Amino acid sequence: MLETWGEAENMSQYENMVKRQRKWMLYLLSILVLGAALTPYKHIFFGLLLGSTVSFYNLYLLQRKIDDFSEAVVKQTRPKGLGMISRFAAAALAVILAIRFKEHVDMIAVIIGLMTSYLVIMLDFIFYRSKE
Amino acid sequence: MTALAAAIAVGLGALGAGIGNGLIVSKTVEGIARQPELRGQLQTTMFIGIGLVEAMPIIAVVIALMVM
Repeated sequence: MLETWGEAENMSQYENMVKRQRKWMLYLLSILVLGAALTPYKHIFFGLLLGSTVSFYNLYLLQRKIDDFSEAVVKQTRPKGLGMISRFAAAALAVILAIRFKEHVDMIAVIIGLMTSYLVIMLDFIFYRSKE
Repeated sequence: MTALAAAIAVGLGALGAGIGNGLIVSKTVEGIARQPELRGQLQTTMFIGIGLVEAMPIIAVVIALMVM
């Protein structure tokens, strides 16, 4: 009983982290949408939006794959891999879109946008490390 | 020549990330197999590790596509 309780508490740590990161990414995306709608720097905000959307997808994929992976380890079935190529391909798609529509989307902004999820992961780790 | 530069950038980036990810995942699997009740904590550490390791090859992919 104690073991299952401990496991549930540990699982909620991961789930809480996932929820927090999703919340911060959605806040950031909403701010970028506001920036794209209200400011004259549309191509920069479009680039940031494109990069952040792909970054959010990468974050979601990483969270889901890691959960599936450890589930497979606990149940002693064959794990399916961590989806590294899918994340590279998503980033490549964002860059190809930015190159294709270079008159609407700023390239540097796309690259900065692609790095947002790593910023969110690091800030979340720094702020909530002591609390849990 | 640019294609070669792009290939080297992506290849070396992915090589480093592959080694790093392998080390992180092997230690996590070892830990979970030894103490399944610590799964959530180890999973969180693995997530942060893999997230930070993969930042560099993603930048490498971006640079390779920009070079081409």
